[in-house]
Amino acid sequence: MNYLDQPLKEIHEALVAKKVTPLELTEEALKRAKENKDNAFELIDEEGAKAFAKTLTEPEKDNPLWGIPYFAKDNFSTKGLETTASSNILVGYVPVYDATVIAKLKEKKAIMLGKTTLDELAMGGTGTTGHKGKTFNPYDPKHEHMIGGSSCGSAAAVASSIVPFALGSDTGDSVRKPASYAGLVGMKPTWGRISRYGLFPFAPSLDHVGYFTRDVYAASVVLDALAGRDPHDSTSSDKPVEKYEEDLAKPIKGMKIAVLKEIVDSITDKELRAHFDKSVEALRKEGAVVDFVSFDRQLLESCYATYIVISCAEATSNDANLDGIKFGPYRGGKTYQEVMYNARTAGFSELIKRRFVIGSYCLMRENQEELFLRAQRNRAKIVEKVNEILKDYDFIYVPAAPGPAPLFTKASDKLSDEYLIADNHLCLGNFAGLPSITLPLCYENGLPIGINFMGRAFEEKKLFQVASAYERLSGLAEASVLDPKEALL
Amino acid sequence: MNFEAVIGLEIHVEQKTKSKMFSAAPDGFSHEPNTEIAPLDMGYPGTMPVVNKQAVINAIRVANALHMTIDHTLYFDRKNYFYSDLPKGYQITQQNRPIGKNGYVDIEVDGKIKRIRIERIHMEEDTCKQLHFMDYTLLDYNRAGVPLVEIVSLPDIRSGTEAMKYAEAIRNIVVYSGTSDGKMEEGSLRCDTNVSIRPIGQEAFGTKVEIKNINSFKNIEAAIDYEVRRQSELLLSGEPVRQETRRFDEASGRTVLMRVKSDAVDYKYFCEPNITPIKLSDGFVDEAIKTCPELFDAKKERYLKAGLSSTDAEIILAEPKMAAYFEEGAAKVVAAKDFANFLIVEINGYLNKKNETIADLQLKPETLAEIVLLQEKGGLSHKQCADILNKVLEDPSLTPTAAKESLHIVAQVSDSGAIMGFINQALEANPQSIVDFKAGKDRALGFLVGQVMKLSHGKVNPAEASRLLKEELDKR
Repeated sequence: MNYLDQPLKEIHEALVAKKVTPLELTEEALKRAKENKDNAFELIDEEGAKAFAKTLTEPEKDNPLWGIPYFAKDNFSTKGLETTASSNILVGYVPVYDATVIAKLKEKKAIMLGKTTLDELAMGGTGTTGHKGKTFNPYDPKHEHMIGGSSCGSAAAVASSIVPFALGSDTGDSVRKPASYAGLVGMKPTWGRISRYGLFPFAPSLDHVGYFTRDVYAASVVLDALAGRDPHDSTSSDKPVEKYEEDLAKPIKGMKIAVLKEIVDSITDKELRAHFDKSVEALRKEGAVVDFVSFDRQLLESCYATYIVISCAEATSNDANLDGIKFGPYRGGKTYQEVMYNARTAGFSELIKRRFVIGSYCLMRENQEELFLRAQRNRAKIVEKVNEILKDYDFIYVPAAPGPAPLFTKASDKLSDEYLIADNHLCLGNFAGLPSITLPLCYENGLPIGINFMGRAFEEKKLFQVASAYERLSGLAEASVLDPKEALL
Repeated sequence: MNFEAVIGLEIHVEQKTKSKMFSAAPDGFSHEPNTEIAPLDMGYPGTMPVVNKQAVINAIRVANALHMTIDHTLYFDRKNYFYSDLPKGYQITQQNRPIGKNGYVDIEVDGKIKRIRIERIHMEEDTCKQLHFMDYTLLDYNRAGVPLVEIVSLPDIRSGTEAMKYAEAIRNIVVYSGTSDGKMEEGSLRCDTNVSIRPIGQEAFGTKVEIKNINSFKNIEAAIDYEVRRQSELLLSGEPVRQETRRFDEASGRTVLMRVKSDAVDYKYFCEPNITPIKLSDGFVDEAIKTCPELFDAKKERYLKAGLSSTDAEIILAEPKMAAYFEEGAAKVVAAKDFANFLIVEINGYLNKKNETIADLQLKPETLAEIVLLQEKGGLSHKQCADILNKVLEDPSLTPTAAKESLHIVAQVSDSGAIMGFINQALEANPQSIVDFKAGKDRALGFLVGQVMKLSHGKVNPAEASRLLKEELDKR
C-alpha cells in the first residue's frame, strides 16, 4: 500500500500532515508509470515533474490538488513538451503555449508527470489507433480486451493507480466510455464550463475537456480547479464557478431520474441488466423517483450517423493546418500542393484519412444540404428531445456501455440495435453539451462496466450529488486494478 | 455594335484596429516581419478565436454609412481551402450572415448623382503575406489575422470612371470612420474588379473577367478602360471572352492573363464552431453609430458652408491628417478660407519640396493660425505673411512675431482715410505734378505714389495708394 492507492482526499491529508511529500508521491508515480505495461504514455517528463515537485514545500490546506501528480492526454498543448496527439504528423511538434487547463492545474500546484496515449487525434473509441499502437486495459493482464478510447492512456493510468486523476477529452464518449471499461469515474461537464483553449480540436461543437478519477469527491474538486471563464475561449461560460463538492453528502430524496427505455431494452447482456435493475431499486430506496421513459427510437438510431457527419466535417477543417508547411514534417514536393499531399499522405493513418474524406464529402456544395445541414438539424431535434425529458427529470440514467470492454478481435455489427443504441448513446451529452458522468456498476469476469448520469446544463453540483449517493450504494469508490473492491449492486 | 460595360467591385479593407480580428496580437505597428503574432495567427493547434470588439464597431459604422441593414446577431463561418498563406487551413469569414446587407452609395459623375447598390459587407481575417523568391517562399505572419471588411457592390457600375469614383467613395467612408488607412498603394484597400460587356439593350450579362492587383484609384479606371476595350475588340472580331482572372500591369497599362477560371472552387463553408452567435444589443449598435467620427461628406458640407470652394475642400479632405490640421487651425482665425489658402498653397508647397507629409509637419496649427491672423487683423499682406511662415518653418524656435521683427516687416496702412492723408500731403507739396498728370504725363503718377510711400515710411499698400491717388487726381 502506498499513498497513491488511497483516495485523493486522504493523499491530500497526508500531504498537509507532511507524512508524504509531493516529491515522494511523484517519484512513486513515475516509477509506476515506467513499470506499466499497458502502453499508456506518449511522454514521461521525469525531470520536469521532479523539479516542480521539489519546489512544493509548504502544503496548502485548502487546496486538495496541491502536490498531486497527474497525467494529461497528449492532445493538450504543453509548452516546451512535445505533443503529438498520437499522430505521426505531429511527431516533433513542441507547443509554444500551455492549454488553459494545464496552466490552471500548474497554478493549483498539481504536478504534471507527462502525456498519455490516445486514438490518433482523439478520433476513435478503441484505444488502438494511436501511432504507438494499442493501449491495453489494466483489468486484462492478457491484453485481449480493449480499454476504449480515445482517452485510453489516461484511463489506464488512473485505473492502475499511477495517478489519482488524469485529463482526457470527450467528443462522443471519449472519456465516459473508457471510464466504463476501466472501472473509473469519467466526467465531462457542460460545454463551456471548462475552457478548451489548448485542447487540440477534433470537432469543437462537440469537444469537451473531461477527466478520470477514482471517486466522486476527486471529480468534484478537479472541476473546482478547471472550471471557469477563459478570455482565450469565447465559448467558455462566465457563470460563477461553484464549490462542486459541497452537496456530496446530501440525500437525493425526491430527485427525479429518467431511465431511457430504448437504451436499456437494447442491452442483451443479462448480467448487466440485472445489476442495472438492482441499482434502480437502490436509488428508489434512497427516495429518488426513477421512471422508465421512452426517448424516440429513430432519433436514437440516428445518433451515430449524425455524430459521424458532424464530427468528421469539423475535423477535416481543424486538421487542415497539418500540411507539412505550417505543421507536420516536411516530406518534399515541387509545388505547395505536392508538399501538402506528401506530408498528409505520410502523416495520417488510413482511418484518419477516411474520416477526412467523409467530412469533406459531407461539406461539398452539392452534398451539404443532404448531409451536413441535415445532420445539424437532426442534432437540434435530438437536443430538443433530451431537454424535453430534462424538463421533468433532474437526470437521465443509463448503462454507459452494452457490456464490458470488448475483445480487440471483436468487430461490432454497426447496424445492430446494441451498437447503434446501447453503444453510442453517450454522444447525447455532446450533442446537447450537458454534464455527464460515468461511474462503475459491476464486474463481469473481472472486467468493469459502468453507468452514466446526465444532468441539466451547468447543474454539475447536483450531478455530483446524485453520483455521490450512487457511489455509496455501489461500494465501488476508489476501486482500481491495484485495489479492487466488491460491487454491492 | 455598341457595348455597355457591367462592372462590380469587391473591396477588401484592412482595419487599423489595435489588435487582430481574433487574437490579441498587435496590428500594424511594426514592419519587421513575424513580430506581431499570437499563437492563433500561426494556426497553432488548440488556439481559439476571440472576436475583436472594435472591428465589429468599425464594420457597423461602415455598414451604416453605406445605408445597409445591420444584422444584430454575429455569425462566423469557415472558408476551407489549402494554400500556403493560410495558417489555420481555413479563413474565418461571414458567408451566410454578413453583418450588413442591401446598401448603397451615391457618386457624382459628370455633375450627375448616380447610386451604386451594395450587396453586402462582412468581416473576415487576412492571410499571411507571401514573399516569393526563385526557389523558396517566405511567409510573414504579421498580416495573418488582420481584420478585414469586404464590401461587395452589385454590378451597377458602367465605366472605369464610375468604378474609380465608387472606390474613392468607399475609401472616404472607411478612412473617416477611423476604420482603415484606405491606401491602395500600401494594400490597406484592395480592389478586385469584375468586368463584362454586353451589347446595349441586352439584358443578359456577358462573360465575367476578374482583374486583380490594381494598386491605385487611377489604375482602377485605367484597368477597366483597357479591359472594356479588349473585350469589345474580341467580340467584334468574333472571338469569345473567356472567364479568367487577369492582373493589371501598370507599366504597359494593360491587363495580363493570370489564370483561366474553371469551375468555381468549393470552399465547403460551415459555421465556425468556436464562436457561438453573438447577440448585439440595440444599444451597442446605436452607440457604435452615434460615436462614429464625422464622415467625409459631412465634413465637406461643413467646409463649403465655411466658405471653401469644392476643390479646396476636397484637397484638404484627401488626407485626413490635413483635415484634422485644417479644422484645428481654421477655428482660430477669422475666415477658414484664409487658413485653407495657406495650407493648400504654402504648406503643401513646402511639404512637396521637402518630400514630406502633413504628419511630418512640426508647425502647430495654432502657430499657422497666428500667422493667418497677421494678415486678417494685423494689416500684413499675404506675401508678408508667407515670408513670416517660411521664416518660422526654417527656424521653428521663432514665434511669428519674432519672425516678423527679424524680417523688418511692418503693417501696411490699407485704411483709405489714412492713405488719403498722405496723398493730400503729397499733392499739396507738389502742385506741378498735378498739372503734369492732367497734361497726360503718366510719370507724374509714379512720382506721386513714390512721395506717398516716402511720407508713410512705406507702410501703405502701393497698389491701393495708386488707385486712390488716381481717383483724387481725377476729381481735381
